[in-house]
Amino acid sequence: MPSALTRHWPLCAACALVAALLMMAGNSAHAVPAYARQTGSACADCHAGAYGPALTPYGMRFKLNGYTDTDGQGTKIPVAAQLIGTRTVPERGDNTTQLTEADIYLAGRISDHLGGFVKVETDNNGKDQFSTKLSNLDLRFVAKDLKIAGKDAVIGVSVNNSPGFDDPIAALPNASTLGPPAISGTLLNLSSPNSLYNRVIGGGVYALYDDNWYGEIGSYNAMPTSVQDHLGYNVSGDPGKLSDTGYFRFAYMKDMKRQFFSAGLVALTTRRQLPRNARSDDITDLGYDLTYQFLGNREHIVQVSYVNILEQRDYGSAPTINGLVAKSHGDAHDRTLSVTYTFKQSYALQVAHLVSTGTQDPARYPPYGKPDSTANLISLYWTPFGKDDSFTSKANLKIAATWFRFTRFNGVSDNIFGAPPGALMTQAKDLDAFTLSASVAF
Amino acid sequence: MIEPKLGRAARGAVMTMMLCCGAHALPARAGDAGAGADVFKQECAECHTTRQGHNKKGPSLFGIVGRHAGSIADYSYSDALKNADWVWTEDKLHWYLSQPAKQANPGTKMKYPGLDDARQLDDLIAYLQSNH
Repeated sequence: MPSALTRHWPLCAACALVAALLMMAGNSAHAVPAYARQTGSACADCHAGAYGPALTPYGMRFKLNGYTDTDGQGTKIPVAAQLIGTRTVPERGDNTTQLTEADIYLAGRISDHLGGFVKVETDNNGKDQFSTKLSNLDLRFVAKDLKIAGKDAVIGVSVNNSPGFDDPIAALPNASTLGPPAISGTLLNLSSPNSLYNRVIGGGVYALYDDNWYGEIGSYNAMPTSVQDHLGYNVSGDPGKLSDTGYFRFAYMKDMKRQFFSAGLVALTTRRQLPRNARSDDITDLGYDLTYQFLGNREHIVQVSYVNILEQRDYGSAPTINGLVAKSHGDAHDRTLSVTYTFKQSYALQVAHLVSTGTQDPARYPPYGKPDSTANLISLYWTPFGKDDSFTSKANLKIAATWFRFTRFNGVSDNIFGAPPGALMTQAKDLDAFTLSASVAF
Repeated sequence: MIEPKLGRAARGAVMTMMLCCGAHALPARAGDAGAGADVFKQECAECHTTRQGHNKKGPSLFGIVGRHAGSIADYSYSDALKNADWVWTEDKLHWYLSQPAKQANPGTKMKYPGLDDARQLDDLIAYLQSNH
């Protein structure tokens, strides 16, 4: 039986992916106002652009401490909300203007050792019909202020629904919500087909030693399809049945107040059955990430991140599809480079280069046998609030103009779906889209 | 024998005046408050503000120079700082901020490794002194 990776991607599916990417990359709010109320901090203390998701070193420490830090002035209600309205102008297709998303966040500390982040997301399916799903989940138990061999240490446990979402550096795709739109992407990429993002449950034990050394080890299981359905997910995106899954993370990070850098390794290994009655594929992701931040006096902030993940697959079966025998081994390779400049913690320009490639396989990746795609995200945004000296430091507004462009899809730039002569051809650039969005979080 | 006693009394009177006047009347260090504002953003602003009555993870630093340690009523200090029997003079701030906080005040909640750039420290203290 052919796996989901062998599917031909029609235009509507590709456009849906682009729309989802734009939603995630352009508007994800991790600068949850409930945290600002809990800590007395401004959004901009944890997020350079005062809206997220990219974290400052201070934001990383807040996350590592299990979202439990507080201003010590009583219990705050750990609830926040976000509304997003978007005008979407696709290269091909109809323009739309609509309320695209409404979210509720349950986010904050339960005790000095327990805290969490839960996002319940309601999406507009395009016809003013709304569906609600459990989005991100990260519940933590943390032991802070430990001393090991005379050095400061933090040890914690995270239960979450996306490998890498809990990462403090937050450059990995499931945390940054930025990964290359992939026809055959890695398991750690939220933009891969049948990705693990929000559809698995697991977590691990993590530790920060001497403020610089981070390590995490954990495991995940895919939620049953019935649970995915109850949580608001279409079962067609089921990541499949996972077994023997291990997640490993190791990173060195250095906060120098005016600058920050990190270098990390990440690995995920699993046996996956997709569909669930298929034979298991042995899959191993191995990646590295590098980040740098110039923070200075916070007037001009530059954040650079590069993530490179290679996935190796030993397929459980090598089916014959349209007379072609699929390969029994294959690779997928995802790379993301992102550069963001933020002025006065209010005006930002983000440019990202997203590349996904994989082993050529004519049977699995029709019409050209190449699962390669290249895309760019260019986003300009303004966040007037969320600073100590702004009208409010505990809520925010984000006005964003985002352009998502493709230069390659299915391995080519022209006639990406291999339409026969005389038929309507689709170019890679036909997947481009421009959006204007307004998000408000309070 | 008398003169030294009078001298100590005079010094005590000056100290009392410094405390009563918030110490800012006698700038002891040649810091640049403007440059100190940048140092504050870089070193302190994530945990403290200089807005009156606004605590973050750390207490408001509005009027810190001349204030007794652990004295903001609605901030939850560590026992270590509550029991610290000192006033935040410029010299005390210089002493405190030039070393790891947990070394200066064992048991404090404050996690700060210290500022080892003397010029920046003078600028920072000048900025703190200007906020009152």
